[in-house]
Amino acid sequence: MLEQTEYSSSAEHLSSTASVRAAIDIGSNTVHLVIARCLPDDLEILADELELVRIGESVNATGAISSEKRDLTISTLQKYQELVAHYTTEPVLVVATEAIRQASNGEEFLAAILAATGLVVHIIGGDVEATLTFYGATYELQHSGPPPAMIGVMDLGGGSMELVTAYHLQITWSTSVPIGSGRLHDRYLPSNPPTREEFAAAQAYLKSYLRELSIPDEPAALIVVGGSANTLLFLARYSLGVSQTETRLTYEDVAHCEGLLRALPADEVAERYAIAPQRARILPAGALIIRMLMERLHLQEIHVSTHGIREGVLLARERYGESWLAQLRGEVSAPVQQSETEAAARKEAAAETFAASGRRLLLARTRSMLEWREEVLKHEDIEAVHKMRVASRRLRAALDAYESLCEPKQFKKVYRRVKELADVLGKARDTDVMIENLQRQMEHIPSEEHAGMQWFIDRLSAYRQQHQRTLETYLSDRELNGDALLQQIKACLPEKGD
Amino acid sequence: MAKAKSITGLKRQAPTAVNARIIASTRLDELYSWEAYVDDPYKIDELHNLRIAAKRLRYTLEIFADVLPEACEPLRQEVEQIQEELGAMHDSDVLIALLRLCLGSHDSGSGYTYLLARATRLRAKGNYVVNPELMAHLLDPGVTPSAEQRQGLELLLRDLQKRREEQYRAFRQHWHQLHYRDFRKELLAVLHS
Repeated sequence: MLEQTEYSSSAEHLSSTASVRAAIDIGSNTVHLVIARCLPDDLEILADELELVRIGESVNATGAISSEKRDLTISTLQKYQELVAHYTTEPVLVVATEAIRQASNGEEFLAAILAATGLVVHIIGGDVEATLTFYGATYELQHSGPPPAMIGVMDLGGGSMELVTAYHLQITWSTSVPIGSGRLHDRYLPSNPPTREEFAAAQAYLKSYLRELSIPDEPAALIVVGGSANTLLFLARYSLGVSQTETRLTYEDVAHCEGLLRALPADEVAERYAIAPQRARILPAGALIIRMLMERLHLQEIHVSTHGIREGVLLARERYGESWLAQLRGEVSAPVQQSETEAAARKEAAAETFAASGRRLLLARTRSMLEWREEVLKHEDIEAVHKMRVASRRLRAALDAYESLCEPKQFKKVYRRVKELADVLGKARDTDVMIENLQRQMEHIPSEEHAGMQWFIDRLSAYRQQHQRTLETYLSDRELNGDALLQQIKACLPEKGD
Repeated sequence: MAKAKSITGLKRQAPTAVNARIIASTRLDELYSWEAYVDDPYKIDELHNLRIAAKRLRYTLEIFADVLPEACEPLRQEVEQIQEELGAMHDSDVLIALLRLCLGSHDSGSGYTYLLARATRLRAKGNYVVNPELMAHLLDPGVTPSAEQRQGLELLLRDLQKRREEQYRAFRQHWHQLHYRDFRKELLAVLHS
């Protein structure tokens, strides 16, 4: 079923000499075409088509793209080629994202597309995807007055979420995380409508994941692109009375839509609000992700844009010519906006001697590790063990790097102590992960497996309790208390007139 | 777990940026020293060592991020992804081994039985794949699973083996993608740019 997307043509009439190009984005949920008259910083959209193929559904289930999804993608592309032929003879630019990156048969899939349509599909990484989305989502801002200095763009797809922040429209940070509406639906919210328990588990997962996301500067405004955001806006207009011209959604709007989606089965949502049934199935997951990210960024509203990767591809093609993708890959690897303070810090770091950086790094890494000691002893949050273990590994990596400069006897003593600590933490963490994974699986397995799974979880939990006492004894050792370990680290790499 | 390779040629008074490149190059060599085992899903110890080598390279790139070219960052992310893929496989290997222990496996000759044998042998050196204390805990004769519980464990084992195969395929595909684009050369070129 085709989903018609609304679009606004901000560039009322670009010069008729501007190139007309077409771009297609093969994502986890959709195959999306846009045809536009293109300038390096502006587009006049001529056609916009979207098909909900849900390639990610088969990838999530089996790790591979099914023959059914492959054939549906190919027939969609062939249909798009016919449409493009009415507008332009320029080659169609096609990119593919998360689901194809993850699929075990991604290469065969692309070969089948090439054989059937002659289209060359470029698989793009998360960084390029984030940059293209940013271009697409922000090019219209020039038409509506100055945006806030610090803005963010979120592209919520079926298999992943790209998040970009920018200062005065210069990208300062970006990330791609494996959280998507299709993926969250398939793994956490399979019921129709999802149950309260499923929502609780999905919410806990998202909360934990988003809390760990290290976002350097929280944006004052967030533009959200992708099918979930646009369908939520559509739903808010028709169910909450949000104005037809409004492109903002408040936190309350999103929460109300989520409540509605939790109460009604997908087929009823689809019928009542004329939403594609497959979209209605994954929309509760999309609404939840958007609301949780708003909480994480302390935002009261979001701006929804119909534009995204496809428009970004067209703009990049105009800006960089035929080598747009190679240039973009280089661009995203190159330094992004760097403040004078950051530049000065890098210069200073580059001039620091190896011995001086060793003393600084080893002490900093040791402090970072010991910071988690109290939290681990409290035994309230299993993440504390994880954090301390990761910190111990980073300290070991630093010790490995500086070994040749250290006093051998002191080094051996410290290294052994850190390794022992990492081992004790490792046993706790590995057991925590096993229990967590099994508990998650428990919700999705047939009843005949429950007794065995529960027996195994109980045994692991009993061991974990027992091991906590070992861990507590180890961490209470006076050598890990106070400054003892820091003094040993200092003794490892003494100053020798450096 | 293979010990980290000693780094030679480091000078105490050299700029950190110079030595960081030497260390990262050594860790990269260490990673590729395990490449020969990538196509064998049951070289469990060697794939575990590949994972540890990936982790060492990743942490090295992180520790020295301030003095290495910023173009290292996307390459570090690739290494992290490889490490995570191998980590997921390792987690499955450990769970499978533990389940086989609980069930008292009758399947001889499988890769997992081999893993168990190796785990027991390596215990004396402290380099075990499966935590021996946990093994002892699970094998406590006072808490053996009932027939119904055993059936559930068998089904869980079957699911885990299937998942492990999927995890291996995903890892192998990613590794070959990196091989195709000559990732090693790419990282070396960035390190020495």
